[in-house]
Amino acid sequence: MKAKYFIPALIVFPVLLIQLTLVPLISIESVIPDLILITLVYFSILYGQTYGTILGSFYGLVFDLISGSLLGSSMLSKTVAGFSAGYFSSETRREKYLNTYSFALVVFLSSLIDQVIYSFFSALDFNTNILLILFEQALLPSIFTSALSILVVIIPFKRSYN
Amino acid sequence: MLKLILYVWDNFKAYIVLVLLVITSFILLSQNNNPRVQKVRAVAFGSFAAVTSVAYDLFNTTQIKRENDELREINSELMLKISMLREQGIINHELKEMAGFKDTVDLPLIPASIVSKSLSQTQNTLTINAGDRSGIKPGMPVINYQGLIGIIQSTSEDFAIARTLENVDLKLTVKDERSRINGIMKWDGEELIIIDVPKTYDFQLGDRIVTSEISSIIPVPVPVGVVTEKREGKAGILNVIKVEPFAELLNIEHVYVLGIVQSIQKKNLELNFYKDK
Repeated sequence: MKAKYFIPALIVFPVLLIQLTLVPLISIESVIPDLILITLVYFSILYGQTYGTILGSFYGLVFDLISGSLLGSSMLSKTVAGFSAGYFSSETRREKYLNTYSFALVVFLSSLIDQVIYSFFSALDFNTNILLILFEQALLPSIFTSALSILVVIIPFKRSYN
Repeated sequence: MLKLILYVWDNFKAYIVLVLLVITSFILLSQNNNPRVQKVRAVAFGSFAAVTSVAYDLFNTTQIKRENDELREINSELMLKISMLREQGIINHELKEMAGFKDTVDLPLIPASIVSKSLSQTQNTLTINAGDRSGIKPGMPVINYQGLIGIIQSTSEDFAIARTLENVDLKLTVKDERSRINGIMKWDGEELIIIDVPKTYDFQLGDRIVTSEISSIIPVPVPVGVVTEKREGKAGILNVIKVEPFAELLNIEHVYVLGIVQSIQKKNLELNFYKDK
């Protein structure tokens, strides 16, 4: 297997470092963007659906182990998110989704799927309003993550024109 | 047969991988309390926390000046409170001796700094830079000068993960400091609430909530928060009490771990009581 496929697996560690130290500083009322998901979506589009599914599973497992959250919850949600993002990967569409603002939309959809599954497994309580939980725990973080993912699109554009 | 397998694999590879990984996730979800899994987790977060602590210190130097100013102000207030408490302590000690009470409370505080925060609406956790070597054990309460922050969930040699009050897995027995009524407090993903409170129970807005002595996790009264809302539960039979925590969980950087765990003697005694039945 080509070495380039292992690089995304190593990138998760510096991304996690930033996610757990710097990202809480830009939180808005406990709502934070998910840098791990942005990385996952990027590599899922770049290398395909199967790869994205496996990478999502690995990212989720590492996050569960390091952050102390319910083991398996992030793994499950990120596996499905990686699988979903992989739908936007094909020879013809790859460049379109990685280099245009469509990337933010793919991140938004994947993040929504990720957060809905994660919320379901981490906060299953039938006494609370499910719609409110989905709004606060899935929609808001997804919007934040999607907004931040625009940086991924902007930076390569600048480089290409330099 | 081999052809069929190859055909299925070629055409449904992504789905097969997805199903296998989802099943693996479910297996892991069911193994959360397995001691071997917890050991692996302790090693993983312990190793990573060592790196995180360096980065966290680096990024937080800019906040030190502001924090120093706040601490100076708090110090002055505390100095005044201490002198008042000293006076009251002397009187209290004399009264206790007169009543024949024995003051057995000796609460060691283990200082620690936060090296990373995993913020989520439901599963807030903190990683602190003190662990087994400092005497920290799972179940110990984490506090700061404002009040209770959470409970230690797992430890490695030099680090520990604490579940904060804003974690759906943390449920605590608390009591109203004024009326002495106990209740179960939990985080429902949106707010901190005391659940299933009979309507006749005396909880008033503004009442201070502290941990209860009958708690199997924190058997000493530690300030938790203040009652800010009292409303009818969904079934209409019981009330729900909303509690605003004293500790500002988003901004905390330094904490203390209260070096107490559940009394083994008390636990054994309670278990014996159930055995006799």
